[in-house]
Amino acid sequence: MVVEKKRTINRLKSMYPLRAKVNETYLKSIEAIQAGKPAVWGMLNFYYGDPILKAMDIEVVYPENYGAIAAAMGVARQYLDRADAEGFPTHLCGYSLTTLGYTSRMMRELDGQIPPEAPFGGMPKPLFLMSSAAICDARYKWFQALGRYMDVPVWPLEAPLPGIKEFSIEDYYDEMVKMGVKHLRDFVTFVEDMVGKKMDWDRLDKTTDLMIEVNRVWHEVNELRKERPCPMHSRDFWSAMPAALFLAGDLEDSLRLYQDMYKEVQGRVHNHVGAIPNEKYRLVFAELPPWHSLAFFDKLAERGWDFVIESVGYHPPIPLDLSKVSDPLERITRFSLQFLVGYYEDARKQNVLGGTTAYPYLKYAREWKCDGALLHPLITCRSASTHLPYVADMLMEKMHVPSLIIEGDIVDLRLFNPEDALAKAEPFEETMEHYKKNRRQEGFDW
Amino acid sequence: MSDKNKGLSKAREIYLNRSQRVKELKAGGKTIIGYPCVYVPLEILTALDLVPYQTCGDIEEPVTEADRALPSSFCPVMRNCLDCALKNRDDFLDGMVTIHSCDPQEKTARVWESYTNYPYFHFIDMPITVRPEALEYFESQLNDFGKTMETFTGRKLSKDKLESAITFHNRQRSLVRELHELAKPSPPRISGTEIIQVLKALTSLPVVEGNDLLTEVISEVKNRDKGPEKKSARLLIWSTILDDTDIMQVFEAKANVVMSESCGGIRAYRSEVKFTTDPLEGLADYYLNEITCARTFRQAIIGETRKNYTRDLQSRFGYLKGIVKEWRIDGAIILLVRYCDPFAFEIPSLKDYFDSIGIPSTYIEYDYTIGALAPLRTRVEAFLETISQ
Repeated sequence: MVVEKKRTINRLKSMYPLRAKVNETYLKSIEAIQAGKPAVWGMLNFYYGDPILKAMDIEVVYPENYGAIAAAMGVARQYLDRADAEGFPTHLCGYSLTTLGYTSRMMRELDGQIPPEAPFGGMPKPLFLMSSAAICDARYKWFQALGRYMDVPVWPLEAPLPGIKEFSIEDYYDEMVKMGVKHLRDFVTFVEDMVGKKMDWDRLDKTTDLMIEVNRVWHEVNELRKERPCPMHSRDFWSAMPAALFLAGDLEDSLRLYQDMYKEVQGRVHNHVGAIPNEKYRLVFAELPPWHSLAFFDKLAERGWDFVIESVGYHPPIPLDLSKVSDPLERITRFSLQFLVGYYEDARKQNVLGGTTAYPYLKYAREWKCDGALLHPLITCRSASTHLPYVADMLMEKMHVPSLIIEGDIVDLRLFNPEDALAKAEPFEETMEHYKKNRRQEGFDW
Repeated sequence: MSDKNKGLSKAREIYLNRSQRVKELKAGGKTIIGYPCVYVPLEILTALDLVPYQTCGDIEEPVTEADRALPSSFCPVMRNCLDCALKNRDDFLDGMVTIHSCDPQEKTARVWESYTNYPYFHFIDMPITVRPEALEYFESQLNDFGKTMETFTGRKLSKDKLESAITFHNRQRSLVRELHELAKPSPPRISGTEIIQVLKALTSLPVVEGNDLLTEVISEVKNRDKGPEKKSARLLIWSTILDDTDIMQVFEAKANVVMSESCGGIRAYRSEVKFTTDPLEGLADYYLNEITCARTFRQAIIGETRKNYTRDLQSRFGYLKGIVKEWRIDGAIILLVRYCDPFAFEIPSLKDYFDSIGIPSTYIEYDYTIGALAPLRTRVEAFLETISQ
């Protein structure tokens, strides 16, 4: 008799069809590419480039995601070793080294054929590369470095990164928008040249609206998680996010599925149904989760740890009314900028100037009423780690919320030790209890 | 006997006590503005009668205070710089200008602003490409920087003053190039160590004083009887940063370093700001386009739809060919500061380029601490043995 294992985390039913749609889209994309449809390798670009490629019906594969897959499937090591042998320092981003090693093998050993060991159909030689200046230097230098193995054009997407205080200077925002629109217009021309067909502007218009609406609904789903008990766990967030973040799948389908999710989460709120049976501690998680060890969160759920908010880099922008902006490229630009600057005014008022991606965690802790933060610095992903000491410092200084730091890596699975991490849970619970009392004495409402 | 108040001796004195002169200037009523990176347009500071002062790290200083703000697997140079700031080594600064020249600069700037309390602090955003819209955006960023500086100082940033400042700074760039010309003979008339002392002194002096110092040094070197002795090889060092004489002496123990293409070397001086109708346009072009740091994404043709690796290498590293020829380079050392991603991604391609022009090269990594010098020495000696065979 098969005994079904009871899971502590009460997963959302509406997450499964959404996730299935994402997986199906990925497989269809691979099939289309294998049948000869041109593919583009893209970096996560925070909405700048994806709607343009989607409107042009271009298949995109994301080497960052593929790096995570290769690591989880146990094939990344040979690519890492190969990149090392080619002279790339081992402390570079693990995803980048995986791609560099993979591409070297594909182009130099296999004459452009996909390596047979590559999981999920591999990544075929792309028509062009779309890199991004957003978040880190690696994400444009890495695609430039691929030029060593294949003569494939690269478009580096610009992504302004304003200062929090400076953002309030007159015309500052308008200048960012001006550059963004001009840059995307030239990008459209580049894509048209590469694929040999013209942009369907009506389609781009519709794609842009759908992207904005999908992300608005997704944002509203996450707002419902402020309730106690929290109706949705971080694991559901991570499972559901690709449809909004990467625009994976048909956007009309995605919109319907996120709306279904909203209804389910709202129903849980009305009925006081939590994501875990006994929510003792509410936590925020930063940044990239240990994709290879997500069961770790089930163990913590058994102790009453509920992850109620997480990973700012994966969250949709705070909604912005763009209905009066007629040019889709300007809507895309403003929407993409909103991913960062949506938090700026509040950050400036709170005088938290240290890091564009640091302030959101203070907002999360305050509004989602978190007892603690689990911070996950990654040895080869500095962009997702650099701000974490500051986040921990500010959480403690501004609102007496303690942090537990557990190190790991994006591809080197050996660096994350779930047993060691779990051993730290009990003492951290005492710390959270201590600071809960401390916050109440200081007049905080949680 | 050398005059301590002139030329190379003066440069060495300033190098050893960098903040002394700016403290004197501050006592005399001047305003001192710190900057951590060569991408900050100093002309705007000079035009407003402010004294720029580059905030540097110290390889002999263990990082302790910066640990609370930055992780250990992060650019050791910026960790060290921030550490020095948090230990109040730069407490004479009236303000700080930071720039998004790379991730570590950007991320350190944020926490720097948060943990310190200067009367003025500004962050300049910087695009990654040299596309026309990127240049226009960068120009707007420089304009905003100028406006905040006007508010801070209560002075007007006039076109005349800015053009005058550009003239002074271009003069400095020209003199630095002239200084490097003195390393062309064999043996070189000036050592890499001396050049570091002079260039680092420049980063803690007002531009006019710096130009006077350069003029003295050039004259002294041209006229002195005894310069560096000839060693086994003439080296080019390509690095993120090389601004410390202890590090340079590791290389110069057995070789002549005749060119350091690095921050701390010639990188910020290889070209000049063009005079344009709006001076900010010329400044934007110079700082975004002309400084050859790996942080900028360069292509053979902007927006190219056909790629060719050989042309690509030429567009990224072609400037090195002239250096190799004119300074008669025997070997190149690619010196990486650990965790410097923009430079680290360049290494295999740069080695390809050096191979293509027939120059032996090696890649060495270190962590910007005094403890890194012994292994560095071993690697350098091994490379010198290789190229001497």
